[in-house]
Amino acid sequence: MRRVHVVGAGMHRFGKFPPQVTLEVLGAHAATAAMADAGVAPADIDAVYVGHVFGGPVAGQRIAMRVGLSGKPISNHENYCSSGATALREAWIAVGAGICDVALVVGVEKMTDRIKGGVRPDPGDLDAAMGFIFAAGHALSARRYMRDHGASREEIAMVAVKNHAHSVHNPYAQYQKPISLEQVVNARPIADPLGLYDCSPISDGAAAVVIASAEGMRRLSLTGPAPAVAACGLVSGTVLRGLGDINEEDVSARAGQAAYTFAGIGPEDIDVVEMHDCFTIAEIVRLEGLGLLPRGEGARLTMAGHTSLGGPLPVNPSGGLLSRGHPVGATGTAQICELYWQLTGRAGGRQVENARAGLAYCKGGSVSGTDGASVTTVIMTA
Amino acid sequence: MTAPQSFDPAVFRTEPPTLLAVRCPECGVTSFPRRELCPYCTAELVEVEATPLSPQGVVYSYTVVRQAPEGVATPYVLAYVDLPEEELRLLSRLVGFGDMTPDLIGSPVRLVTAPMDDPEDDRLRYAFEATAQGASA
Repeated sequence: MRRVHVVGAGMHRFGKFPPQVTLEVLGAHAATAAMADAGVAPADIDAVYVGHVFGGPVAGQRIAMRVGLSGKPISNHENYCSSGATALREAWIAVGAGICDVALVVGVEKMTDRIKGGVRPDPGDLDAAMGFIFAAGHALSARRYMRDHGASREEIAMVAVKNHAHSVHNPYAQYQKPISLEQVVNARPIADPLGLYDCSPISDGAAAVVIASAEGMRRLSLTGPAPAVAACGLVSGTVLRGLGDINEEDVSARAGQAAYTFAGIGPEDIDVVEMHDCFTIAEIVRLEGLGLLPRGEGARLTMAGHTSLGGPLPVNPSGGLLSRGHPVGATGTAQICELYWQLTGRAGGRQVENARAGLAYCKGGSVSGTDGASVTTVIMTA
Repeated sequence: MTAPQSFDPAVFRTEPPTLLAVRCPECGVTSFPRRELCPYCTAELVEVEATPLSPQGVVYSYTVVRQAPEGVATPYVLAYVDLPEEELRLLSRLVGFGDMTPDLIGSPVRLVTAPMDDPEDDRLRYAFEATAQGASA
């Protein structure tokens, strides 16, 4: 497979926007920003890959026609919260395989006008019939993690405090204000023990990257720093058997292994992580599943500053889903924007010093009786 | 009088309340809900008759849901319930636990019928409630 590079990134700030800021407006903004950042014109793009969940049929084509990209191969990719990363993976395969040299990847979502009270599985799923919502699933995980590892409510809440502190430096974040531990612990309860600030918000937004092969970069005379996409892992959950630990995170371990093996590097080589912290507890158990933190110690290490900017392993310098916001189809692509900025030294006040290798993780959806639906793991190297 | 209808007759029988699984004739593992192929050994299960699950369970983890999408009344209690006999874990509502102050992990529970979220929908789904021992915990 040919080496694939990220050559430009662009975002529309995440947030809650009025109806006239449509899915198409958001996507077009991010697409043009990424092309401008890369220094390429629409005519230079060979193919377009778009990730979204609630955008309706052919949202990618609706966006592309607004920004001079009509007529090209365009495909739409849905893997719930890992849709944006799945779109990247498909583009990476195509560029790596030599099918095309330059591709645009857009993740986009308009949620605030159509989602109320939280996202849930497909209504046909048995868990959905029982009233499963994602906040409840993570609350069940948190309650069990606290019991099994003696973690405190405050240690889990600290994930939100940390990520909000990071987002103060991210102009694309929905929330750019610090938050105190007291605020998180005393917030309105959503699903015990999790409260409002343990949950990522419902958001609108878009993020896009341009990726290219070395041939594509030569053709377009692109000479700027271009981190490599060293691996894009994708796994699905397996049917659970027996009465094991719900926080075992086998699905994360398998997704991590898929990426580590392909990239030829291990968890010890990762300098910065963009983690799918849809809920505070999720960041902890997923870092453990990936082998980035020892099992059962994630909560304590978060409280100790291990995963803060300036710590040994900064996690979510962008603010993560908790404070950058979580327009579900856009999140996976926004993580790639952040790693691109981190690995090219353009992350401003949230820059991780000497970042050489980054990992981005997304988990999308749930299927009754399994440990997940889709997990993506992207490794990028400077 | 006809028996109240189950929300999903392939999964749940209402009288008496019974969850329906499928036991693989090849490897012996019980799957719930039933599937076309055994997830462990891929044996064909389509023609295999349903197996009733034990109505007795133990709470593995639980949460009180206080915010939900439109049409779902809150609060309600969701739990992972372990069925030790079949070594199966399933997600279910818990009912009859009152103010929920005690830690419910490990509480014994038994299968019952419960109404749907939509008051217009007169079908029944399943839930677990505290056994006498659990209620006094």
